[in-house]
Amino acid sequence: MIVIFGFSCRNSKSKTSEFVFPQTDSVPVSEAEKLSPEAIADISRNISSPVEIANLLQTLQVPFSQDYLAESIDANKQSTSFDKALKLGILGADLGYLNMYEKTSSSLDVLSSIRKIAEDIKVGQFFDFESIKRLSKNKSNLDSLLFISIDSYNKIDNYLRENDRGQLSALMIIGVWIEGQYLATQVVSRFPDKMLSDRIGEQKIILNDLLLLISPYCNRDQEFTSLCKDMQDIKDKYRDIRITYTQGEPVSVEKDGGLTIKQTETSVVSMSEEQLNGVIEITKNIRDKLILNN
Amino acid sequence: MKKTILTFIFLFTIGFLTFGQVTDPLISNCATNAGANAKYLKDFRIQLGKATSQDELRYKANMSLWKNTKYRFTMCNADNSKGQLILSIKDDANKLVLSSLDKKTGKIYTFVDFECQKSGIYQISYDFTNWQQGSGVGVVSMVK
Repeated sequence: MIVIFGFSCRNSKSKTSEFVFPQTDSVPVSEAEKLSPEAIADISRNISSPVEIANLLQTLQVPFSQDYLAESIDANKQSTSFDKALKLGILGADLGYLNMYEKTSSSLDVLSSIRKIAEDIKVGQFFDFESIKRLSKNKSNLDSLLFISIDSYNKIDNYLRENDRGQLSALMIIGVWIEGQYLATQVVSRFPDKMLSDRIGEQKIILNDLLLLISPYCNRDQEFTSLCKDMQDIKDKYRDIRITYTQGEPVSVEKDGGLTIKQTETSVVSMSEEQLNGVIEITKNIRDKLILNN
Repeated sequence: MKKTILTFIFLFTIGFLTFGQVTDPLISNCATNAGANAKYLKDFRIQLGKATSQDELRYKANMSLWKNTKYRFTMCNADNSKGQLILSIKDDANKLVLSSLDKKTGKIYTFVDFECQKSGIYQISYDFTNWQQGSGVGVVSMVK
């Protein structure tokens, strides 16, 4: 049974057919400071999950590679809260990648680093290490493993934001995003694929939100100032990448009591090879700098 | 002695707070029952009283959805809910892209699959049927 739902467009505001960054080159601090806790929670939800990136890689039948992991991170050599929170995000993305590819023995190594760092910044209680370790030993528990791992990170993120440690939450989120972006860009440079390069180009949609998230802390100290500049540099590489939209109405299919909505409206990324290479290069440079031990 | 009592109170409080971090079973059950091949991404915990006005769904959040990904939105209700959890999603142009409530037939779907073809930030809204009081969770998963 196929039904075309007559969704009303009467309330639709007039829509640009292209995604554009806001007019200003950088996000004013005053604007970022106005962000409500709900808006910050929304931004954290808007970051493409590393599990989604890994899922896309699996769909494209990209083989697993240990080379993409931030193996050089030594949990014992992270001296500042800045380093620890950022690395917690980076390692979280690696854990998602490993879990999706069911590389459980490697994930236990990453897990022990996560445990050390999480405990150092007093959020270890939110990470259910024993359950994750137990589930990692049995491949049939992948769904539960993903749930507990992601749920643990969500709890840490909520706790940090609710306890006036929003700067650490922002760092963790940026760490997750940078590592996911690194993974995607490294894979696309080895295995060129339109779907994957489109996903990289589409990150333009959330880049401004990432900058909003970190902007209140840009003048906090040298580490934050440097990271803000790095994020702004990434944004600059995206400036001329175009995302346009084609119109269409959603199609609804009911089958076996369930409902599936197929979207016919599409987003289209226009990105030259040079632009993609620019994103690959800057992502690698920044990510490699961030995983250096102190 | 006073120090010992203070230490005990401190440890008890820490222990209580830590215990309080246990995952809500409604969320974990909803996530693990989202179906075979459904990989958990996020959840929304919704607790609402009876609405005083009845114009639009009250719980709102934004979430990015990515092209070429099939998402499953699963709705689960707590036992004490008066209404049933429903979902609607609008795109960044405020256009309705899906609803778990078929207004014509009144049918409510407990899960909806969405084949996303337009990457962007979407507004996800939840409420309970007839704007009743309710407690529930909405889980977002990926499906192959």
